[in-house]
Amino acid sequence: MKLALQLTEALSVFLVIFYLYCRSPAFRPLKPDWPRPRGKIRLYLVFSGIAILGNYLGVPVVDGQAIVNARAVGSTLAGLLGGPALGMLVGATAGLHRVTALSGAAAFPGAVSTTLEGLLGGLVHLALKRRPEQLMTPRVAFATTFVGELLHMFIVRYLTSAPPEQVIAIVKAIGPPMVIANPIGAALFMAVLLERQREQDRVAATSSARALKVADRTLRLLARGLGREAAGELAAIIREETGVGAVGVTDTERVVGWSGMGSDHHLPGNPIASPYTRQSIAENAVVFADGVRQAYDCTVSPSCPLNSMVIAPLQVDGAVVGTVQLFEPRGRRFLNMNKSLGEGLGAVLSSQLLIARYQEQKSLLVMSELKLAQAQVNPHFLFNALNTIIAILRRDADRARDLLVHLSNFFRKNLKRSSDVSTLREELEHVGAYLEIEKARFEGRIAVETDVDPELLSLEMPAFTLQPLVENAFKHGLSEVLGEGRATIRAYRKDGEALVEVEDNAGAWTEPRERAGLGMQIVDKRVKNRFGEAFGLSVTCVPHELTRVTVRLPGKGVAA
Amino acid sequence: MRALIVDDELHAREELESLLLETGAFTIAGLCGNAVEAIQAIRKQRPDVVFLDIQMPAISGFELLSMLDDDELPAVVFVTAHDAFALRAFEERALDYLLKPVGRERLAKTVERLRRLPGVEARQGYPRAEIRRIPCLAARAIKLVDLPDVEFVRSSEAGVYVVTAKAELFTELTLKVLEERAGLVRCHKQFLVNVDQVDQISIDEGLAVIRTRSGKDVPVSRRHLPAVKARLDL
Repeated sequence: MKLALQLTEALSVFLVIFYLYCRSPAFRPLKPDWPRPRGKIRLYLVFSGIAILGNYLGVPVVDGQAIVNARAVGSTLAGLLGGPALGMLVGATAGLHRVTALSGAAAFPGAVSTTLEGLLGGLVHLALKRRPEQLMTPRVAFATTFVGELLHMFIVRYLTSAPPEQVIAIVKAIGPPMVIANPIGAALFMAVLLERQREQDRVAATSSARALKVADRTLRLLARGLGREAAGELAAIIREETGVGAVGVTDTERVVGWSGMGSDHHLPGNPIASPYTRQSIAENAVVFADGVRQAYDCTVSPSCPLNSMVIAPLQVDGAVVGTVQLFEPRGRRFLNMNKSLGEGLGAVLSSQLLIARYQEQKSLLVMSELKLAQAQVNPHFLFNALNTIIAILRRDADRARDLLVHLSNFFRKNLKRSSDVSTLREELEHVGAYLEIEKARFEGRIAVETDVDPELLSLEMPAFTLQPLVENAFKHGLSEVLGEGRATIRAYRKDGEALVEVEDNAGAWTEPRERAGLGMQIVDKRVKNRFGEAFGLSVTCVPHELTRVTVRLPGKGVAA
Repeated sequence: MRALIVDDELHAREELESLLLETGAFTIAGLCGNAVEAIQAIRKQRPDVVFLDIQMPAISGFELLSMLDDDELPAVVFVTAHDAFALRAFEERALDYLLKPVGRERLAKTVERLRRLPGVEARQGYPRAEIRRIPCLAARAIKLVDLPDVEFVRSSEAGVYVVTAKAELFTELTLKVLEERAGLVRCHKQFLVNVDQVDQISIDEGLAVIRTRSGKDVPVSRRHLPAVKARLDL
């Protein structure tokens, strides 16, 4: 019993040492490391150390012929975690040490059995390899070590070259403590390991949560792309959410945004100086320097307080367009960042940039469609307008001159950049020039009324919203009326929204034919792009009586 | 030459009038703002040449041509500001056309051509559009009756009348034109019927009567009965 307590004491020392190892930066999460040679070497060194320590911390019995020891814990765990080869290697190493460094009758059989226990652990590892959640449990560690230690006693009983009564004394002395204490010890080791593993997962989960929180705040921001203003705001948001010392954003050549420490010398516009950044861009990979094994060394200013960093590439369509970088100052013990946070942020921000790119292309498409529609100035309108002016020139040169000015105004406004927003007032002016020409063309046949709430004159809408509607009313409506054609242009408020309407008395609207429909579709698309799906165009038609096209716009922002 | 000008735009009519008078080759028989006025004017004035705009409200220049009998068709010079489809048709058929705004030199060529070829031979080749609605006079307004709504058409001393379920309207078009170009079936010397509006046909002692969907009777003459029966798949 006393021996069991002493052995437990020794195991406790192990556990403390092992625990400290697990907390140290040298510890790496085990799972992904398993198959790699580097991971196996690390496992070999750690568990051989534990097994050898087991020899020293053991308690000699039967005149030093045997040692109650915890060596088996090292080899069994090594086998469980790293497979049969590793288990046997650790067992053999510790056994060799037992034989060469410490003497005694039970030394050789002990060495053999430790190696076999490593093999046993390895076999269990092979059996449960596909189900790591069952392999990495204290229960399995306990059972394997228990069976191993029984085997150990059996081997000692029959392989020890000593008088039988001495062998029996040895087994009686070391058996109970080792068979009871070592499995408990192995189970505890496994528990510590598992706990550490879970903690690692928790940190990763927190990192993802933080990355998502950043994403939530940056979505609208990155819709504008990676400009300098957006980059500065982005850096500030990431720093606020993560609590790191500094955050930088670069494109592929320059710093475009910086927030936090070192902002005196990490200036937006500076070329990229850090080799880590260049590496991240070149390899399209996250680069992490924890400040201990690998440190960030500012090449701009020697007084820069920053010494650890994670740099994540930002990519769109597989091409790196920049980086986002998190920094911590020297001497900060617990970093607010790690590699997985960098990875998460990089991925989230990259996808947001992709969305921004997509939206930009979508609006470019709308614009080019519009340009196309505009460029195709209706030749029928142009030649008829010129014909009308030529006719009027015979009788009334002044009026003809006025009409030519209207015609030039109309074409000049058509050439205005289409991305512009315009006010209702500007739209009415544009339409006004068009109407003057059409009124002259259809002299005596068409009357146009305008009924606009003057408070809505500053109402904003995409440029070229009203003109295509009025043109449609003429082209497909009024010019087809045998009697008198009437058109009304209205703007008024209703239920907090602003409505702009063009109505004619032809009632000739049919489901949009290709060409005629295109102009209306573009107007609708542009209004929706700007104000959202709740807004846009609607058409009411009573055949032969009226056609009314209504544009629904947000009423907010216009003085009530 | 006596010229009629048909264009829906006032200033375009006036300008062309001035240009035609300047050539000294024309006297102006009339100015019309739409196709219905033009049909009346052509019947009444018998002009030598019509300057005809293509794009006009309700009834286009091509539809107007379908509504005239061949023997009342004058020479036509088409006028348009821009109409890719029409221009192709003119080129294919070697018809004369003018583009607005009209230049004096170009008009002089047209005058020459008209003097050389005043004949009827080219007229058969005028592009025509199918008649889809029949212009009628209702009180003093012009009403366009969609062809499917027509039950039958009758002619009398007073003129030709289009009969629908609801109304009976006077039209300038002749029975011959409506029979040949609107797909109505002759069932009697003085009647055309729309076969889609036939409800029943009763034949008694060689005297047949068609009842339309709204319950009106249309006589069928012995002479036309076989043709009517054929169209009704009887």
